[in-house]
Amino acid sequence: MFKHLRNRRLFVLMVSFILFIAVIGFSISSKAGLTTPEKFLRDTTGYVQQWFYKPAGYIAGLFQAVGDLRKVYEENDRLRMTAAAYARDKVEYNAIRQENERLQEKLKFTEEQKKIYDYNYLIAQVVAVSPDAYNRTLTINLGAREGIRERMAVISEKGMIGYVSKVSELTSTVMPITSLNSEESGISATVLGKQNQSFGILSGYNSESQRILMTKIAADDPIKKDDIVITSGLGNVFPRGMVIGTVESIQDSDIGLTRIASIKLSADFDHLSEVFVVQTSGTAE
Amino acid sequence: MKMQSMVLLTFLAFLVQTSLFPWLVPSAFSDRLLPHFTFVLILYAALYRSRHAALLLGAGFGLLQDIVFRGHLLGLHAYAMGLIAYLIGLLLGGRRLTMLSALAVVAIGSLLYDIAVYYVYDVFRFTAEPLAWALQHHIFPSLFLQLAFALAVYIPIRRAFEGNPRAKPTASA
Repeated sequence: MFKHLRNRRLFVLMVSFILFIAVIGFSISSKAGLTTPEKFLRDTTGYVQQWFYKPAGYIAGLFQAVGDLRKVYEENDRLRMTAAAYARDKVEYNAIRQENERLQEKLKFTEEQKKIYDYNYLIAQVVAVSPDAYNRTLTINLGAREGIRERMAVISEKGMIGYVSKVSELTSTVMPITSLNSEESGISATVLGKQNQSFGILSGYNSESQRILMTKIAADDPIKKDDIVITSGLGNVFPRGMVIGTVESIQDSDIGLTRIASIKLSADFDHLSEVFVVQTSGTAE
Repeated sequence: MKMQSMVLLTFLAFLVQTSLFPWLVPSAFSDRLLPHFTFVLILYAALYRSRHAALLLGAGFGLLQDIVFRGHLLGLHAYAMGLIAYLIGLLLGGRRLTMLSALAVVAIGSLLYDIAVYYVYDVFRFTAEPLAWALQHHIFPSLFLQLAFALAVYIPIRRAFEGNPRAKPTASA
């Protein structure tokens, strides 16, 4: 009797193991959206989670605010400088924009071509953070109902966080660039101020050194240390001009034909409460 | 305690670990101290209730985590939590354990779980770091967090989970 029971247990174990491998294999290869039960479970959980995350963040922010009180003066000075620079640039920007619009009219740009860089920023509240070390996804409180689509870029005020990986009706999941492996994180990048000369592809975050690598940089690329790396927007998957980080070091790749830059991410991934989802005109409906 | 209240309690632990706890960790440690409070409760269920309850809770809450934070893989946490909790229930469930040995069991269970999760991500190449680094970087620090939580809830959870699961609702106090 006991032996019979043991065998049955072993049998169930083997079957469940095969099932487990099958489900994992399926979930890796599957690019399909979520099923209705999944969406329902995510939305209900997300709804309850936001009651916890927001008040906790508010209280934590209150303590932090008291601690930061001394820094406010310095920050104020810095912001005043930035505001002055902004006012100067704004004048120039308006002139260039008008010139650009005039040229677009002359060159007979289609309506779609004109709107390609028209971005809409949606403010989203973070409601939960995954406790899995290799899958640090965030849940945000905007979903398909608010016009969120998969692969939209998500940024904070400091820089790029990641992209929307799964969408349900009321919530969506944000995959941070720190959790992507080298195959998934193929984001095309360039350098601020040298958008036409510089090009590379982001590949793989190294948790040990906390840096992301920018690969396939041409040998004659003008990239140098402390440059600001931004998304290039080539391929029209991610919007252009999202800040990723600063170049920390550049070295030759293994083969020697291209170079590799090590980039320090500028976004801060902990204690996130509000993020922006970048809605491009191509993806908005 | 009825199964429904156990599920509710574990769900509360899930909410605390995903939505409340990230704010309590200092920002320098946010990727090193990762709470698995639901799993601690599931291990207690394996020790003081039954292995079947632990299997159900583990698979259920693992699946909840898999679906809510759907990333690279689906089903990993469901399988790891369910299997480890069931095995621990099979080996040690229903025995009289002192508090220290119960904590040791929680420690072993959490370690097994973290290492299993690491290896699955390693096999599918979602992480490139060696195990020694993962152990040092987040598995051991998180283990202490798990143990602190296990110690804090030991007495109330043991009282709540213990008691004859087959007793009628009116009989249980």
